[in-house]
Amino acid sequence: MKNGATIILDWGKLKFFLGEVLRNFSRNTGMQVTAIGTVAITIVLLGLFLFVRGELADVGSRLLDQIEVSAYLHTDVTQAQVTAIAHFLAADPRVASAQFVPKKQALAELRARTRGTIDTALLTENPLPDKFRIKTRVPDDVPAVAASVRRLSGVENVVYGQKIVQRLLQLGAVLRRIGIAVIAVFFAVAGIIISNTIRLTVFARRREIAIMQLVGATGTYIRLPFICEGLLAGVVGALLAVALLAAARVALWPRLLEALPWVQLAAMPLDARLFVAELVAVGAAIGVVASWISVGRHLRT
Amino acid sequence: MKSPLPAMISLRGVTLVYPNGVRALDNVNLEIEKGDFVFLVGDSGTGKSSLLRLLYREARSTAGEIIVDGIRVDRLRRKRVPALRRHLGVVFQDFKLLVDKTVWENVAFAMQVTGAHTRDVMRQVPRVLDLVGLSHKSRMYPGELSGGEQQRAAIARALVNNPKILLCDEPTGNLDPANTTEITALLQRINLKGTTVVVATHNQAVVDRMRRRVVRLADGRITTDEERGYYYLGLGQTQVLSG
Repeated sequence: MKNGATIILDWGKLKFFLGEVLRNFSRNTGMQVTAIGTVAITIVLLGLFLFVRGELADVGSRLLDQIEVSAYLHTDVTQAQVTAIAHFLAADPRVASAQFVPKKQALAELRARTRGTIDTALLTENPLPDKFRIKTRVPDDVPAVAASVRRLSGVENVVYGQKIVQRLLQLGAVLRRIGIAVIAVFFAVAGIIISNTIRLTVFARRREIAIMQLVGATGTYIRLPFICEGLLAGVVGALLAVALLAAARVALWPRLLEALPWVQLAAMPLDARLFVAELVAVGAAIGVVASWISVGRHLRT
Repeated sequence: MKSPLPAMISLRGVTLVYPNGVRALDNVNLEIEKGDFVFLVGDSGTGKSSLLRLLYREARSTAGEIIVDGIRVDRLRRKRVPALRRHLGVVFQDFKLLVDKTVWENVAFAMQVTGAHTRDVMRQVPRVLDLVGLSHKSRMYPGELSGGEQQRAAIARALVNNPKILLCDEPTGNLDPANTTEITALLQRINLKGTTVVVATHNQAVVDRMRRRVVRLADGRITTDEERGYYYLGLGQTQVLSG
């Protein structure tokens, strides 16, 4: 007599097993619909949240991309100092580009930018200092790079959009934290509802379970149909959610663009295929974990 | 009654106290040899069902040693319980058949959920249905059968995995005299094929007709153990034990 779940598949066994799962699934239609609906709503919310976060990150990063550090040099800076600063910047891996802007060019740019408002021809000498225009690879590095450049000899002052950068970085961090909290709550709610549904299913099948235990079916074998059921509910719910999200995207996108003309929205801030895969995986995970827990609770008592 | 073979079922100093403080069994010693047919008799609540429940590990003993077919049941870990149950067939007063499955499916179920090959299911199910005399009703649902037929289906399910031991808890409790006779005869036939049978019962007629070993319980203790006993004490050769 064999011990444990040495399940060697043959066609008859598979047919029996799938038959049991299906019989079960169709018998508790009402409960299944509730569970699937809850998963779908949860995942729609999760999907919306991820989408909005992606949009914000996209808009934010484009704003941040425009931020550059201006390092103004002393008026009596020497050529050697300029070369040293240029070498220093070239060696820093955080720096994407560093461009030396001599004061003549700076004045020309100022003239171009203020044409018609200030008559720069009145200036008898160039009041602007030489400067370096520095861009970092990652916006988060802006404050650190600015600080390290300020310490170099020949550098008079360093300016960047301190306030804006700090605000945007803080906003990003806060959003991430809220996001994680919201997702956790969604998870818990959907998990509780699925596990309640499975518990009702388990209750409806308590006679079968009792007999399985009596004749020596293993715990794994008894759990398996319920896990499959949870998985099925999770995946179907997630697919439903994806369909709803896709429909909403098609229907609402033009209106959103109209409503927010001043914001440059990305059509798809996320990798679509990865996005769908993630949502389905989340649905499957909720289903499996919730059913595993609720069947386990029944088997132990 | 002494035998050189190790007993099929052996209880030594077994005590069972339920969480609510009820002492269901108190220092029970019992040996049942392979191929024995044993009746457990006694008033309600004297521990007959509790004793059976210990054997198939539905309950755990508080103290004492329990060996069933070589397995130390009192020390058995939960993961090993399925292995024990495959050595046993259990039959109840209320049959415990699945009403939405046919007789055939009910019997096959016990094999299918323990991972049996379809080939073996197809061979074994007709064999046990023939043994209990239900071959012609294998496509019927439990609701379409008489009580006796339902119990025969339940016995077929208990036997389908070829257990060495058949445990019956009031198997005729829900049956009329005719069906009772039928089930009793069936249990005897199963015993003749070599299966050890333990029957907890209230039914005087069954015990008196069979004249097999009778173990009598009172207040969780074994009071008498007769080789060829009657339901009521004093009619057979009596061996009084502790208690």
